[in-house]
Amino acid sequence: MCQQQLHCSISPCDRWSWCLPVKWFMLGRGLKRKLSDYEENMAGLSSAFDSSRNLTYPLKRQLVLNMCLTKLQTYKMLVEPDLHRSVLIANTVRQIQEEMRQETSQQPVNVCNGLGLHSQNYTGVDSAGISAQLLSGVNQQESNCCDSRSAEEPIENGLLMVSDDDMSSAISSILKDLDFMEDISPPTCLVPAGDDQPKSPENVGLKLEDDRQELKGAECVFGSFEISNSTSYLKDLAIDDIFEDIDTSMYDSDFCCPPQMPSRVPSATTEETLKTFPTCNSSSTNSIQICRTDLSELDHIMEILVGS
Amino acid sequence: MPFSLSQPSRSRNPAPSKPGPHSSQPGFNSVSKYFMSARGRCPQSQHVEEAGVFPEGHTGCSAREPRQHLSPSQSRLTGALPAQDSGSSPAARWPPCSGGAGGVAGGAGGGNDFQWCFSQVKGAIDEDVAEADIISTVEFNYSGDLLATGDKGGRVVIFQREQENKSRPHSRGEYNVYSTFQSHEPEFDYLKSLEIEEKINKIRWLPQQNAAHFLLSTNDKTIKLWKISERDKRAEGYNLKDEDGRLRDPFRITALRVPILKPMDLMVEASPRRIFANAHTYHINSISVNSDHETYLSADDLRINLWHLEITDRSFNIVDIKPANMEELTEVITAAEFHPHHCNVFVYSSSKGTIRLCDMRSSALCDRHSKFFEEPEDPSSRSFFSEIISSISDVKFSHSGRYMMTRDYLSVKVWDLNMENRPVETYQVHEYLRSKLCSLYENDCIFDKFECCWNGSDSAIMTGSYNNFFRMFDRNTRRDITLEASRESSKPRAILKPRKVCTGGKRKKDEISVDSLDFNKKILHTAWHPTENIIAVAATNNLYIFQDKIN
Repeated sequence: MCQQQLHCSISPCDRWSWCLPVKWFMLGRGLKRKLSDYEENMAGLSSAFDSSRNLTYPLKRQLVLNMCLTKLQTYKMLVEPDLHRSVLIANTVRQIQEEMRQETSQQPVNVCNGLGLHSQNYTGVDSAGISAQLLSGVNQQESNCCDSRSAEEPIENGLLMVSDDDMSSAISSILKDLDFMEDISPPTCLVPAGDDQPKSPENVGLKLEDDRQELKGAECVFGSFEISNSTSYLKDLAIDDIFEDIDTSMYDSDFCCPPQMPSRVPSATTEETLKTFPTCNSSSTNSIQICRTDLSELDHIMEILVGS
Repeated sequence: MPFSLSQPSRSRNPAPSKPGPHSSQPGFNSVSKYFMSARGRCPQSQHVEEAGVFPEGHTGCSAREPRQHLSPSQSRLTGALPAQDSGSSPAARWPPCSGGAGGVAGGAGGGNDFQWCFSQVKGAIDEDVAEADIISTVEFNYSGDLLATGDKGGRVVIFQREQENKSRPHSRGEYNVYSTFQSHEPEFDYLKSLEIEEKINKIRWLPQQNAAHFLLSTNDKTIKLWKISERDKRAEGYNLKDEDGRLRDPFRITALRVPILKPMDLMVEASPRRIFANAHTYHINSISVNSDHETYLSADDLRINLWHLEITDRSFNIVDIKPANMEELTEVITAAEFHPHHCNVFVYSSSKGTIRLCDMRSSALCDRHSKFFEEPEDPSSRSFFSEIISSISDVKFSHSGRYMMTRDYLSVKVWDLNMENRPVETYQVHEYLRSKLCSLYENDCIFDKFECCWNGSDSAIMTGSYNNFFRMFDRNTRRDITLEASRESSKPRAILKPRKVCTGGKRKKDEISVDSLDFNKKILHTAWHPTENIIAVAATNNLYIFQDKIN
């Protein structure tokens, strides 16, 4: 159970890596943030969110989304994540996601208005990402928690006062952080096929895929609860891999069927798994050959015994 | 006109030797309460039978008359019907039980308003707090003579109130340690490679039926029934055993004697009588003893189970909100409680800010609620964190059984069981935090689960906040007060000074600004004596006891 700690649960490194760009939006606040004082007062990114007017709604929303995803990742690394918290955070992510999708449907109107600045930068990224989501037909769960917010504020184009440079720096920092999060193996229920993760931070499109991955990952977080209520290593392994080191060559009757490797895991994760469990995986490939060798030998022996 | 009821007189023996009128015979409750309420008396018959005392000069108390005519010393003995909970309204079938005085410190109010003062503090003073010493639950028993605390280390400490000393009338009964025992040990689930914490999540007392005391304590997975009994005599003069316990050879015995009981130093023993295990996949967050005193419920994130106190190998699952596909999970159970008088009714709250009332007579699996309580969201205060702060962390029925109270992150709401669409009262606990929600989300404080409690007469409610502050709301006068549990104001009988948080603009003297609040010092667990104005407040590893001031 996620222990109620007296100090912040997220390590300072995580926090600082993606709050850097926001500092630039805190015009002249002069806030001093020391790592050692962090736990004593709440200076930092979040206070910028809470107090600064310079953060626009979409940026705020993106920051909240990042925080949610970071938390979910952190919880997945815990031995036993708190189900209550995970549900609340996942619902928040879904709500933000739903809101972004609704705004996308209004997006064509905005673009036609010729407000090229933001559509080029931040909002453009978002909209492209969201349309990618829609195109890929990501099947979202039922929109349950999203109360109808028809009066919800559309993107206030006029409020985007930040410069191009700031935006792209913000985006690249967020991308770097998502990269950092990518290194942690995502859950096995992610859609794998063909989703090789290009690791080029410059590719703006990466952010969209990452977001999609992470959002899907957010929904898959409860899959782990189903299996074992934990993120134990067993989940990352294919079940058959556990038994590969057991030599069953004597008992296998159909020789040509290789062990079933579920193609659930994306290639990156497979490498991850291979790194972590070398013996299991190498023996899995070996055992196929051993199996076949043994069987041919067995045939040979049988022939000798039968004497034919 | 039903009169207010009084608390049993103070000379009553705290350990009744025979069961009171409230016996645990099945069916007694359901029959008796209708009988009682038809006469307009409190369902808790003990109050009627044993003490029908009113203070001198009390000529009658109409339901709408305010309580000011009672002097503070008398207010302890009698309880007036809260002005709102008049028994005359047709909707109230059970007139509220007012077992004792209630009310909130008035501070600089009228002459009859009382004030809270420090009584005791338990726990170590060091700055370095061991994780295992953090108090995780506080509960008075039904008479208020015993106060139980559970901590993260799995220990239960029970305090007992000393009998009042006639020679020192100013010092009311103090609570001293009565028993300490290790309730739960850390366990390891080998199948899932998980450690099961020994932290005590909840303690619930059972009504006393004999000289021993019983309580239920639970950690994340296992509930235990403990018997706390006193031993003050021992037998001497066994025939087969020596005084030091060695067995005697039967052939050497030439004469027989009858063992005699000799007094000894009081020893309090705690022994586990039942262990209810292996019924919950998720973490248990609530237990609640039923009014029939035979069954109880235990609730985890997705399921609620009904147990019989005598049977440990079986439990009935009465609520299951686990979806077929876990990825569709959007709501979890956060708290559950049985109705104080109806043994078939219970409520459970969810992480989406809803409360469902279920009747066990309607079906075996109570997945369909009988009543659904939800307040429509205020669109003007919507934010990214609206859902998170709407999650209910505690739900408590009033003693009368007519109302229930829920605690979400920023407010406490009182609901009338007859009205589902909105609460009847809403109290803001720390509204100044609404603008800080992102920071609180970042450091996980937004997930803190505060509890709330009623006073004995249901006229006041109390809940905790940050910076070791706790808040009390008087439902009649609509006054509220913020007090602090700190070592600084820990002189005996020192009156607690009301605290104020400055929300903006100029900070007055003695006010504290929102940014200076210490969010590591949180008061999550509080308890109010069932009949008197004594409160127990758990501040991390310290337990503070405050009492109202006697003039």
